[in-house]
Amino acid sequence: MSGGLICEAPACNFTPLMQEEVLPEIAEADLEAFFQIMHSVYGYDFREYARASVLRRLGTIFKKYGLPDMKALNQRLLKQKEFFETFLNEFRIGATELFRDPSAWVALRKQVLPLFMTTTQIRVWHAGASTGEEVLSLAILLTEAGLYSRAQIYATDIDPKTLAIAPRARYPLRHKRLYMENFQQVLPDVPFSKYAHEEGNELVFDPRLLENVRFLKHNLVSDEPFSRFELILCRNVLIYFTPELQDRVIRKFIRALVPGGVLMIGTKESLFWCKEAEKTLVPINNLERLYRRQV
Amino acid sequence: MTPEAPYLWVIGGSAGSFTPLREALLKLPYDPDMSLVLCLHRLKNARFQITDAFLRIKGWKVSEPDDKTPIQGGYIYIAPADYHLLIEREGYFSLSVEEPVHFSRPSIDVTMLSVVQAVWPRAGGVLLSGANKDGAQGLYQMYQAGYFTAVQDPADAEVSHMPNSALALFEPHSIFLIANLPDLLARKPIPH
Repeated sequence: MSGGLICEAPACNFTPLMQEEVLPEIAEADLEAFFQIMHSVYGYDFREYARASVLRRLGTIFKKYGLPDMKALNQRLLKQKEFFETFLNEFRIGATELFRDPSAWVALRKQVLPLFMTTTQIRVWHAGASTGEEVLSLAILLTEAGLYSRAQIYATDIDPKTLAIAPRARYPLRHKRLYMENFQQVLPDVPFSKYAHEEGNELVFDPRLLENVRFLKHNLVSDEPFSRFELILCRNVLIYFTPELQDRVIRKFIRALVPGGVLMIGTKESLFWCKEAEKTLVPINNLERLYRRQV
Repeated sequence: MTPEAPYLWVIGGSAGSFTPLREALLKLPYDPDMSLVLCLHRLKNARFQITDAFLRIKGWKVSEPDDKTPIQGGYIYIAPADYHLLIEREGYFSLSVEEPVHFSRPSIDVTMLSVVQAVWPRAGGVLLSGANKDGAQGLYQMYQAGYFTAVQDPADAEVSHMPNSALALFEPHSIFLIANLPDLLARKPIPH
């Protein structure tokens, strides 16, 4: 991957699409063929991704790349292996922000981090880390709690292209106001300038926040957890999965948590479809979707 | 999705829709064979206030659905702030944080198109007062797919841009006054 690609990616990630919403006409057989290509050529299984979003995504991608239909997209994916990287980056949804849902991060700060005060090692798995804004959010809270030096954060994502953005810890300056507002809700007594400053048209975060972070490519659907963790964060990833796949992935998280370990999911995601979670996870804060594996 | 899936009304609105809609819904008779999906433009991080406003509408359960919540009858569902709300053919909601559409998340277009895509057996679309054109395209596509469509009379709407945007695209089955919305909804119309 060239440096130029890495620089271009954030722009296309954040630019709102102002085109008209139209329904892609996708024949069932072509959708099947798509899943087949993804699986057998590229090793990705998207069959259990929630359908409405998949169809929306595919429709957006046709339009953007001027393809007439699903057949054409399938052909391109078959013939142009280098197109796959671009495709994957478009297909996965990376929208995230610093301290998205501030009240959830307040709950993490006040109710979860104190649990780790006597823990010698805090291993964190940030699954679906995307462009890294929430990795920084967590790193800031760990720093403020005096826990950062004991933390080892593994930030994973399915898409290597978005993960290439995260280690730079630089974001378009237009996000500054939102990020600062969120920050102030979570840490009202800390100046935002302690962790971020402007450089040209970018908002640059303190690189020390990433000293204990490793960015890795990992596919939640097919790859097993690679360690055991005191804390797992996976926010707004499960929403793209069917109930069956949500169940499997949550069970994966449960297995990867040490007893007493904490799971944080998106504030509108739930454990509803995972029977095992009822037995093994107890809520720390039901509203903010923070759960603890029973000791 | 089961054959007894409820009649689903997708109701979209923006500026000037909130209070009139709430007042109209107070007169809506409870119907366990029907649910409303309210897709109203709202501010980020403003959780709960909207849901609270729709509580105490007689008989109806009010829910801001989580992702993958099964869709049932007798509910007023409210699209959560800062997510798109999609309807899945398996009979549950999905949420998405894809980019805003017409600066809006939730977007009315997105929810309405998902009804068409899910081939939901019985549904209708309603577009209310609003200051942008989100929903016009979605409602038009619902119309083309054979669903009942209704647009608030622009003269009756506090902000007419949203209804006018729909009317510029097609002629819906009904152009209504907000006072008549409860009767319209209660009929659960299906176009011939």
